[in-house]
Amino acid sequence: MLLISSSVCSLLKKNYVVILIAALILLIPDVSAQQDVSCYHCHTAVVNEFRNNIHYQGGFSCADCHGGVLESNTTVISANAMSGNFIGKPSRNNITDICSKCHSREASDYKQSIHWYAIEKGHPEAATCTDCHGVHEIRAIADNKSLSNHQNSPATCAKCHSNKELMSAWYYGIKTDRIDTYKESFHWKALRNGYNVVATCADCHNNHVTKSHEDPSSSTYPDNLPKTCGKEGCHPGARFDAKVAAGLVHDKESLHTGELVFNQSRLDPQMKAYFLGPFDLAYWIAIFFKILTTGVIGLFAAMVILDFASRFKIHRRW
Amino acid sequence: MREQSLIEVSYSKELKGDNTMGEVFFKRFTFNQLVQHWVMIATFMALVVTGMPVKFPDAWWSPVIINMVGGFEMRTLIHHAAGISMVMLGIYHITYHVFVDKESLLDRKVWPTLKDAKDFWQTVLFYFGKAENPKYGRYSWKEKFDYWGAFWGMVMLCVTGLIMMFPFIAMEYIPYAYVHLATIIHTDEALLATLFIFIVHWWNVHYSPEVFPMSKAWLTGNLSEEQMKHEHPLEYEEIMRQMREKNEKVPD
Repeated sequence: MLLISSSVCSLLKKNYVVILIAALILLIPDVSAQQDVSCYHCHTAVVNEFRNNIHYQGGFSCADCHGGVLESNTTVISANAMSGNFIGKPSRNNITDICSKCHSREASDYKQSIHWYAIEKGHPEAATCTDCHGVHEIRAIADNKSLSNHQNSPATCAKCHSNKELMSAWYYGIKTDRIDTYKESFHWKALRNGYNVVATCADCHNNHVTKSHEDPSSSTYPDNLPKTCGKEGCHPGARFDAKVAAGLVHDKESLHTGELVFNQSRLDPQMKAYFLGPFDLAYWIAIFFKILTTGVIGLFAAMVILDFASRFKIHRRW
Repeated sequence: MREQSLIEVSYSKELKGDNTMGEVFFKRFTFNQLVQHWVMIATFMALVVTGMPVKFPDAWWSPVIINMVGGFEMRTLIHHAAGISMVMLGIYHITYHVFVDKESLLDRKVWPTLKDAKDFWQTVLFYFGKAENPKYGRYSWKEKFDYWGAFWGMVMLCVTGLIMMFPFIAMEYIPYAYVHLATIIHTDEALLATLFIFIVHWWNVHYSPEVFPMSKAWLTGNLSEEQMKHEHPLEYEEIMRQMREKNEKVPD
């Protein structure tokens, strides 16, 4: 008995490397079957992205969006994954349907938006769920790496809205300077310095129900602006008759060219508010201060320099 | 005539053994005016430090300063507090010097006169060595420009600052476009004021060889007899004349 056990022991000792390897080989498929899905073997990069996805952390897998049967314990591509209701890469106008399986409220909000309207009209490049939330790397909104995080919202919207080709591909009505003009605003100046409690794109334009400012039910329709600005946590107490619409919310210096406009009937009412007679005040006030500052500082700096230079004369100053 | 201030000449306590008088000081600013200037310095510097990072948000020093003062929210808080303090100072200044100070408004020496324009030109000529240094009274043209520049700046900055601080109250009366105009005026005027103070005013009171490292008048309110003779000769003569008259009136 003792002899047998000692020989088993010696056998184990002698071959412990082999045994260790054998044990690992037996363990690995088990471990990876829990962590990895079978798609990993080909779609490595995608699955790695998916690991940062809030859905992965919540127990969802590829099949929940892409369809098919999940074969988690296979080591080669399973034919089963391609069978049944496998849909592969969803087309852009189907993405909303997939998300709406769970996020029905968000999807129905989104379906009122101008983005969905454009998709339905045959412009599939209009924004859909994945453009703002990420494709495989969908993070929680509160995660500061999330595309739809409050702080990242301007950059996310700018991906498309600063893209001249994309914006003009449909028609020439979509302005591409929205991020530039936003960056002139106090909201952005505060945001970039880490003050998060200021408006970014989605706060005024709504995250899902994004509508054209020409749509009377839009949050950015001129008559609705005081209500939008007066939201709880933003500017509560803004009166409904506040003149928010009389001026460019998206404003920047280069929009004011200083051109004299005598016939203002053709002017955009937002732009018209800047005019006093034919003069664009935003332009002329800026010019006035340029001249005043250069003049006053130039004159007095010259006096300082002359004063300094006059010290080097032989006669005493006093 | 401002009798009260003109004869406020103080002698240093220590009388010298050889029977001569100690150093004579001339009262330039009352304690009231000194405190006003100190409050002005404190609020102005706070406003510049917390305001410029927003005027130049893309500058490298902008986030540095904002972090230094305790974040953007704190920056805003400091800017608002300092701004309100400066407005209060302005209100106090006007109230005091218009209603409390007994001297007639028209007799104040701070009003610009034709002599100031002449003095300006003479100063330019003097710098080129073509004329004598102009003789100034109580306030030189530079000092008057400083004062009225600050006066105009405070009015502009106060009005536009309040519009920016309460935009939605302002928008009940003025269009949104004018709130934007207020930001242009506020920041450009502030930049002008900052450049003027840091270059011109500091040259006159700090860097200029006569006063370097600084004119102590902002701390003591006094000028020495030497300074008085050189910088305000007309006022000096006036004071001396009045003192002589006063001494003559004293019965034997």
